[in-house]
Amino acid sequence: MTGNESTSENRTDEQLRTDGGPPATVPPDDETPTWRERKERTQGLSRLTYEYFERARREDQDLRQESDYVERDVLAFPTWPHEIIRNLAITSFFIGIMILVSAVAPPHFGDPADPASTPAIILPDWYLYWSFGLLHLDPINPELAILGDEKIMGDEMYGVLANGVVVGAIALVPFLNKGSARRPVEQPFWAAVGVGGVVFSITLGVLAIQNLVPLDLNVIFDLTFLLPVIAGIITYAVLKTMREGYMYDLNRRYYRLRPPK
Amino acid sequence: MSLEKKDEHDHKAWLEERDLTAVESIFLTSLIWLDRRFRIVDYLEALETMYYRVNLQMPKSHTEQYNLDNKFWYWYPLYSLGFLSIVAYLVAAVTGAILGFYYAPSTGGDPSAAYNSMLFIMEDLQFGFMLRSIHRWSAQFMLAAVFLHMLRVYFTGAYKEPRELNWLLGVVLISLTLLFGYTGYLLPWKQLSFWAGQIGVEMALATPLVGEWAAQLIFGGFTLGESTLIRMYILHVFVLPFVVTALIALHVGIVWVQGIAEPH
Repeated sequence: MTGNESTSENRTDEQLRTDGGPPATVPPDDETPTWRERKERTQGLSRLTYEYFERARREDQDLRQESDYVERDVLAFPTWPHEIIRNLAITSFFIGIMILVSAVAPPHFGDPADPASTPAIILPDWYLYWSFGLLHLDPINPELAILGDEKIMGDEMYGVLANGVVVGAIALVPFLNKGSARRPVEQPFWAAVGVGGVVFSITLGVLAIQNLVPLDLNVIFDLTFLLPVIAGIITYAVLKTMREGYMYDLNRRYYRLRPPK
Repeated sequence: MSLEKKDEHDHKAWLEERDLTAVESIFLTSLIWLDRRFRIVDYLEALETMYYRVNLQMPKSHTEQYNLDNKFWYWYPLYSLGFLSIVAYLVAAVTGAILGFYYAPSTGGDPSAAYNSMLFIMEDLQFGFMLRSIHRWSAQFMLAAVFLHMLRVYFTGAYKEPRELNWLLGVVLISLTLLFGYTGYLLPWKQLSFWAGQIGVEMALATPLVGEWAAQLIFGGFTLGESTLIRMYILHVFVLPFVVTALIALHVGIVWVQGIAEPH
């Protein structure tokens, strides 16, 4: 009865309206009863249970409000145990791998330092190979005719400057590449630059350990600059092709709507 | 008027005011009896909440809405590399602190006190070889993780708009990590350490204007010796740990404030 009355009231309201009615935020399905309705229209024992529980709930609430009971709002997952246990699992996994590797492959320990004898191979640790490779760029250190074919700067300073240029270029990246694109497919150029940079650091590393590589030094030097460019071009081509396929989904509707020629 | 507090939750009165059948009153009485003792309301409420939660139509997640799960799953393993580098850093800090008890930063002696102390650690000290191995490998892991972390940030465009400062901070941090590794590489004072140091001195001297000053400051002179080793030691165990730890805290703090940049 009450339901019918309210709907008829609504109908008259709607008829009298001149402003186009309420905003179009209609619940998904009008026939779906709400949580409260679902409980209220049940009959018999279940309804009795519901009424008692409502009272009991109310009782609890009153008790909480009148005492000095403090209820905390839960703002996030607790750090303990959820986050801590997950992080401990990851941490112990990583540390376990580190201990395993250090047990299986202990570091080599060489001869003591001897300033009198220069060893055949002088090397930093592997992560500085790229930097050491940049010190080997003397063949492209420009020579000036006006100085009588003398170099503008020393080869070593040229290498140090190259280090500065590389680090500076990396630091500038966020100020050169703007926009909201987040995937390599969305910007093949920058992905190609990145892949070229990675390959360049590897080829520079090979240049740094040139006396361990069974190749002619000139060949190594040329490959140091050629391979990054090739890798960059391949990356660009692949990502560009992938983007066509990726954009197809987005453009399909547009192509459908276009009249055939 | 009674001073006694009025019981608003008088179940007995409530039961009497209702006109209940025998079955109903028995059911309700036993329900109240059980509830008073076992708080079954709470459990039923939890069940009820669970039921509605299970049957709830959740709004589509960001991933579902833009059909992204096939786009970024392959980046996901790389999202823990920053954390791995911190873990490796902590392991290196702990093992390094223990190694510090046995290491002597001196070039005196035959061939040198530093080299001899390394020999002692690796040959005589219980667990010393393993300790040094862990220290060295955790450093390698940290460097590798830091490089890959940078690549991940680059290729997922995580350095973009609000995060430029953190990228710059990362460039500084990676440089300091390399310096950390370099100073540590020099400490055993073996042939490779010595000649790697020689490269460093030559690089410093090749720099115009500030070169000689930098060589004096960092290497303690134009040729390698006791002062070089001591400076590397001080950098490695005193200066860099504090600076790098502070910068890592800042780096992570900014990530905390800005949130992790997910590909979208």
